[in-house]
Amino acid sequence: MKLDVNALGTFYRMAREGAGIAAGRLTHMLDVETKVGVTKLNFMRGEEIRREFEDSTDKVGVRVKLTGGIEGYSVVVFERENALRIVETLLAEAGPDADVDTDVSDLDGFDEMTESAATEVGHIMNSGFIDGWADVLETVIDVSTPEFVEGKTAEPFFGDIDEAPVEDDLALLFQSRIETVGTEVGFNHYLFPKRESMSKLLERLRTSEGIEYDKLDGFDRMAERGAEEVAKTATTLTGIDTSVDIRRLNFVSLEAIPEQVADEKLVGVAFEFDGMPSGYLLFLFDEESAHEIVDAMVPMEIDEEGFGEMGTSAIKELGNIMASGFLDGWANVLDTTIDHSTPEFIHDIGAAAVDPVIIQLGENQDYAFVFDTVVVADGREFDCEVYAIPDESDLERALNNLDVDRIEEAPTTAEFQEVDNT
Amino acid sequence: MKTYGTEPGAPTPVQVGISELVVSDGDDTLKSYGLGSCLAIALYDPNSEIGGLAHVMLPDGDAADNSDRKPGKYADTAIRALLRRMVEQGANYTAVEAKIAGGSDMFEFESFGDGVGQRNIAAAKTELEKLGVPLEGEDVGGEHGRTVEFTPGTGTLTVKTADGDNGVTEL
Repeated sequence: MKLDVNALGTFYRMAREGAGIAAGRLTHMLDVETKVGVTKLNFMRGEEIRREFEDSTDKVGVRVKLTGGIEGYSVVVFERENALRIVETLLAEAGPDADVDTDVSDLDGFDEMTESAATEVGHIMNSGFIDGWADVLETVIDVSTPEFVEGKTAEPFFGDIDEAPVEDDLALLFQSRIETVGTEVGFNHYLFPKRESMSKLLERLRTSEGIEYDKLDGFDRMAERGAEEVAKTATTLTGIDTSVDIRRLNFVSLEAIPEQVADEKLVGVAFEFDGMPSGYLLFLFDEESAHEIVDAMVPMEIDEEGFGEMGTSAIKELGNIMASGFLDGWANVLDTTIDHSTPEFIHDIGAAAVDPVIIQLGENQDYAFVFDTVVVADGREFDCEVYAIPDESDLERALNNLDVDRIEEAPTTAEFQEVDNT
Repeated sequence: MKTYGTEPGAPTPVQVGISELVVSDGDDTLKSYGLGSCLAIALYDPNSEIGGLAHVMLPDGDAADNSDRKPGKYADTAIRALLRRMVEQGANYTAVEAKIAGGSDMFEFESFGDGVGQRNIAAAKTELEKLGVPLEGEDVGGEHGRTVEFTPGTGTLTVKTADGDNGVTEL
């Protein structure tokens, strides 16, 4: 299976189109304003999908099996409470004429009627997405009868789907979020395409030589180790026990990248890296985490406004060593050197730190692969988002040169061990 | 319209994302979050109270082949598209005024050359001059991010920086 930017770009447009249609239908159905949140093509391993899914909230889902133009499963997942609110609204609108008990607010669970209403909503959403894809692909997609699923973990939703990747498999997953404007009612949508069906589509849409999927898989495995390395570095330097929480490879339009960053003041360290591939690397912390890091790294009390000189240089140092840990792994597997710039410190609105990077890349590309990692600490404030955004054509060339067999052998240079941390 | 949980009467600002442009009128609020090197371009006709906001990313759309599909992505094509749509809605071309904000240079990376923010500012100014649209206010450049809110009815462009209440400028 081979893919290229043109084929993935078409998939991305297809995902946006589908999300737009689904949002329109939700607006129509509930008479509320809705908007499409983040739409992403994620390359994720089975265990990552499960970890992301299992945030301990109760969920309900509606899933359908697809055949024809795309084969696989399309699943709409609501937080349980949200599904009940939507059903409540719908049944209230059915109004006094309908012979139903419209007060579902004190319902403990779904009864036959609310379940069927929720299934209906889910099905209309699924169909919206599917209609959008069929339009973009100019093909026919057949849809099975919807199935209602309830649960807290990924198991009841994806467990019995063959297309859902097992633990270590890298799957292409379409993910969208739709929200009603000004409220918290929203849902996530997942498409698990069958590998053969995806392969056929990619073949059809591809306009260049492209990248072997196995190479992308290999590179992602290496990025996984790079992420582990970042967490280890952070632990060594700050003494805060950190681990990788979420990690995925996204394919998104450039414009969507800053939108993904929290709309608040963040502290960050940015680098440009140069080699094969070249690109940009950003570490972003929320303010509390940044203060925690400074406290951990700087032994004396700092009596300066903001982060001051000491705080700034501590965070830059941490960023610098994390960047080396991240990029050395890439360079070793690709058997090349990747140099990175000196760190640039920022303390500003999150999105403002990301837009210069996408502007620079935007001269030559519309989409980007984003290696997206979240590092967290148990019981302490330490949230670090890592964005590595390589130049597209460099990445393609680098991947084509990648010898997949090297991945297991290549060391990730543990440079931080040489740092005097006393 | 029925909404969940929001107070009635408080209109939600329309979000103008990167590469987007929106034309509206009266008391509507158009908002762009977290501009770094991107540039917010606001045009308005004070008489008809029709105006629009664009959140542009790059300077030169005439040199790009997708500017037909995405005029809001580039400073030059965004200004022309805003003007055209405003006139279509009843604005008077000769009365239109402009305000701009953003175009910071956040990082000094080698690959950034002269600065991506500066290029956007220069391109917008050139295009406005070419079209004879007077620039009535600007808060551009520097090394910090900005969030802007624009009300077509009053022509007020409010610029906020990350410094909280101290960082609010009204253009």
